[in-house]
Amino acid sequence: MAQLLWVQHVLEYIAGEIDSPPDGFPVRLTNIVFWGLWWAALAAIIYIFSGQSSKFIYIDF
Amino acid sequence: MITRQQLGWTAATLAVCVLAMNLGVAYLTRNSVPRRVMHHALESQSARVLALGNSLMAAGFEEPVFDSAAALPTREGAVNLSLGASSPVEQLLLLRYALAHGIRPRVLIYGFYDLQLSEPVQFSANDMIGNHALLYYLEPSYARQFYSLSAHDSLEFSVFHSIPMFEDRGAVWSKVEILRRSMAQQGLAQQTTNQFGRAADFSLLEPASTDAFRQDSEAAAQLPLAPPVAELFRQAHEASIDVVLVEMPMRTSHRSRFYETKEWNDYTSHVQELLRPYSVKFVDASSWAADDSLFEDPLHLSQRGATIFSQRIGELLSAKPAQVADLH
Repeated sequence: MAQLLWVQHVLEYIAGEIDSPPDGFPVRLTNIVFWGLWWAALAAIIYIFSGQSSKFIYIDF
Repeated sequence: MITRQQLGWTAATLAVCVLAMNLGVAYLTRNSVPRRVMHHALESQSARVLALGNSLMAAGFEEPVFDSAAALPTREGAVNLSLGASSPVEQLLLLRYALAHGIRPRVLIYGFYDLQLSEPVQFSANDMIGNHALLYYLEPSYARQFYSLSAHDSLEFSVFHSIPMFEDRGAVWSKVEILRRSMAQQGLAQQTTNQFGRAADFSLLEPASTDAFRQDSEAAAQLPLAPPVAELFRQAHEASIDVVLVEMPMRTSHRSRFYETKEWNDYTSHVQELLRPYSVKFVDASSWAADDSLFEDPLHLSQRGATIFSQRIGELLSAKPAQVADLH
C-alpha cells in the first residue's frame, strides 16, 4: 500500500500537482534536462495520438 | 520553487527535443508516397507518355503493359505519376514538377472519376494529410490559388507549411490508425485490404444515391472546368502535349446507377465541349472492365483489370492517336 502511495505521489509530482517529490525520488524541480525531456515526451505522445479524429479512407501513405 | 531562468532552460531543452522530433519525422517520411512519385519522375526523364490521375490511375495504369501495347521502347515509354487520394491540384503540381525536371511527354493520359473535373477543390487543414502532403512539398504558394481554405486554416497553413511535424503528420497518424485497426480486429474476421486501405471503405467515396448524382451532374453541366483542371490542360497544351482524357473503368453497379443516366451523358458532352480549346481527346473507358471481378474494391482495378486497361489504352494510342477522340 505504501508503495502504491509512493507511485501516486511520483505521478502527482511529475504531473505538476504537487511541488515536492516523495522521499527517494531523485529528480528535483531544478533538474532542467529531466523536465525538458519529460515535456518533450508528453508533446510527442500528444502529437502521435492527435490524429484520431481524422477520417482515414486512404491509408497508403 | 523553480526560478525563471530554470524554466527558460527547461523550455530550451524542450525546443531542442521538438527540433530533433522534426528532424526525425523528416527522415522517416523521406520516402513517403508523394515523394516516391516525385522520385519516379526524376528517374523517368526520357519518358514520352505521362499518366496522371488519382488512385484509379495509380492502380490501373501499368507502365510496362502500356509500353508493350503501344510499341514504345521502355526508355521512352510511359511514366505513371498518378497519386492516390489526390485532387486535380496535386495532379497539376505533378505535371509542373515533371515538366520542370526535364520530362518532355508527347502524350498526357489523364484519368478522371465522376465529377472531379468540375468540382471546386476545397480543403480543411484536417484534410491535408497523407498524400495531400504534396501540397506542402511542391510550390505551396502557387498551389494555394487553386483550392480554398477557411481563414483559420489558411493562417495555419501559411505559418506551419514548412515544418515537417505539420506537413507529414498524417504519415505518423496513419501508423497509429493501422495499429488501432489491427487491435480492433482482434477476434474478428479479417477485413479485405489493398494498397490504398480497407476495401469496403471505398464505397464511401461513391455518390450517396442515383438521384443525388443526377442532380450534381446536372449542376456540373452548367459549370466551367475546375480551375486546376483547366490550368492543367492549358499548361499541357502550351507544352505541345496531346492530352487524352480517360473516363476510368467502373464496376457494373457504378455504371448502371450513375453513368447510364441522361444527366451524366449531358455532363460528359459538356466537358468535351469545354475541352475543345485544348485539343483534348476524350476516351470513355468506363466499361472496359465489364467483369466486376477485375476490381479489387468498389473503385480500383485489380492487377488483371489494370493489365487489360493498360493494354487497351496502349493499343488505342499506338493505332492512330489522332482518331482517339471518337473511340470508346
